[in-house]
Amino acid sequence: MSDQPGPKGLTHAAVMDWLTRFAATVRSVEPELTALDQKAGDGDFGGNLVTGMDGVRRALDALAAGGGNGERSRRGPDAPLDAAARVFLDDVGGTSGPLFGLLFQELADALGMAADPPGTAALALGTAAGTAAIQRVGEAEVGDKTMVDALVPAARALASCEPTGDPAYALHVAAVAAHRGARSTTDLRARRGRASYTGDHARGVPDPGALTVALLFASAHAELTSLSRLPVS
Amino acid sequence: MPQYFRDSPESLVPDALAGFAAAHADLVAYHPDHGYFRTRHCAPTRRVGLVSGGGSGHEPLHSGFLGTGMLDASCPGRIFASPHNRQIFEASRAVARPDGVLHIVKNYTGDRINFSIAAERLAHEGIRCARVLIDDDIASDSDDIAVGRRGTGATLIIEKILGAAADEGRGLEDLIALGTDVTRRARSLAVASAAHNTPASGAPAFGLPDNVLEFGVGIHGERAEGTTPHAPLGKLIETMTDQLLAALPDTAGTRVLALVNGLGSITSLELYGIRHAVAKALDDRGVGLDRSLTGTFVSALDMRGFSLTLFATDAETLRLWDAPAHTPAWPL
Repeated sequence: MSDQPGPKGLTHAAVMDWLTRFAATVRSVEPELTALDQKAGDGDFGGNLVTGMDGVRRALDALAAGGGNGERSRRGPDAPLDAAARVFLDDVGGTSGPLFGLLFQELADALGMAADPPGTAALALGTAAGTAAIQRVGEAEVGDKTMVDALVPAARALASCEPTGDPAYALHVAAVAAHRGARSTTDLRARRGRASYTGDHARGVPDPGALTVALLFASAHAELTSLSRLPVS
Repeated sequence: MPQYFRDSPESLVPDALAGFAAAHADLVAYHPDHGYFRTRHCAPTRRVGLVSGGGSGHEPLHSGFLGTGMLDASCPGRIFASPHNRQIFEASRAVARPDGVLHIVKNYTGDRINFSIAAERLAHEGIRCARVLIDDDIASDSDDIAVGRRGTGATLIIEKILGAAADEGRGLEDLIALGTDVTRRARSLAVASAAHNTPASGAPAFGLPDNVLEFGVGIHGERAEGTTPHAPLGKLIETMTDQLLAALPDTAGTRVLALVNGLGSITSLELYGIRHAVAKALDDRGVGLDRSLTGTFVSALDMRGFSLTLFATDAETLRLWDAPAHTPAWPL
């Protein structure tokens, strides 16, 4: 996949590998996500997510093969995220799928406008913009037991990092913050989304959307710290 | 058990969309790739495209009101389900005018979210987009319902008045202000003597004892909070009229427009009887009836019931109501 240990930052290859890794992670935890959503929702979350990431994988393959028909540069670090945004916004059902699409869209914009390769500042900008868009659309606040419970702390963590600092470290901080936020949803009663109709049945169950946000940042961190990208000389 | 006429539960909506497109081919075009309808004729003076949509099962809403003087595009969802954001996004992009698009959205969580996602995508492409949220149903006006009142019959009134205003070349800000004001001045209430039947099974969505009405139903077969004995019609209409007038923001000296709307399987015979009772109830209360519309416009599959919408009129909104419209289902 990646040709060489690249410069520190989110190169085109690193973003391709990030999303590929995220797709594999999502597939491996799909039964758990579905089980959680069945306890506190309508049970379609895991399936929608896997279907979406399968579509993303096909879009990434097309991108790697020189296909795709986006107007963006196909070799930019934003191109894979833009492809993911289109798949999630256009083809994924339910509401949380398209909301992930908004996050991908804003991340793509921020990475596309940043210096090459984009680093911590672009990640912070894109995550903040994606979180804001998701909150405008879903009107959820922290504590409503939704993906926002993981996104807001992740965005804050990224914003607190040195903008020119190591993006791998920033992603580590974001993943930990998102994971902590996702765990904090366990004891909440849902106030938004399908789980809000299940009342106290949702207590004791972490929100699968919030967990998925944590997995997204963890996948990015894992990618940037994978052996192939560590400076070995 | 009552059975729907269709090949299969899955074919009900797509076959109806194809049939609608063919039946009104002179007025509307269907875009199957993206799942939206677009009018073939609209005033060149328009600066804003009007887009609405929502679950199927509410026919003739919304697609029946595509055309001159009303909507530019409509997005039908699956039965009682919100359209996908892609339908709304593509429809909006197709009919956007120099001043952008206005989304006319009934207040349901799914519709709100999907129209909002489409709006984010339009903003991303630099297309102006705003929304008028319809929340006229007083039965869902409760502190326990955090999401607010549902949007029901007033949708038709808003689509008509905003359509006429858009034809006059008004800008986006102006239409938002008008739409917000019209929404504020409209309230609805619905009753049913029998639930709709679920297309997949033919089973009723809920059961009701004889001689009991479900008082305050929604348009998706949502049960009401309470029931009421099946009293004589005049008595029922008096109760509904009192509740609606009390809920209107400025009732002092009010003159109203009344929409008597069937929910799917009530007869025209009954609807006109209801229209008669509404006129009497308003007259008894000293409220003038400026205009009325009677028929099935915002249905709930085959629910056996009706909704009553009262809208506090003024000279401006009456003028816009009276403006000509030419659509598959606009009756005037």
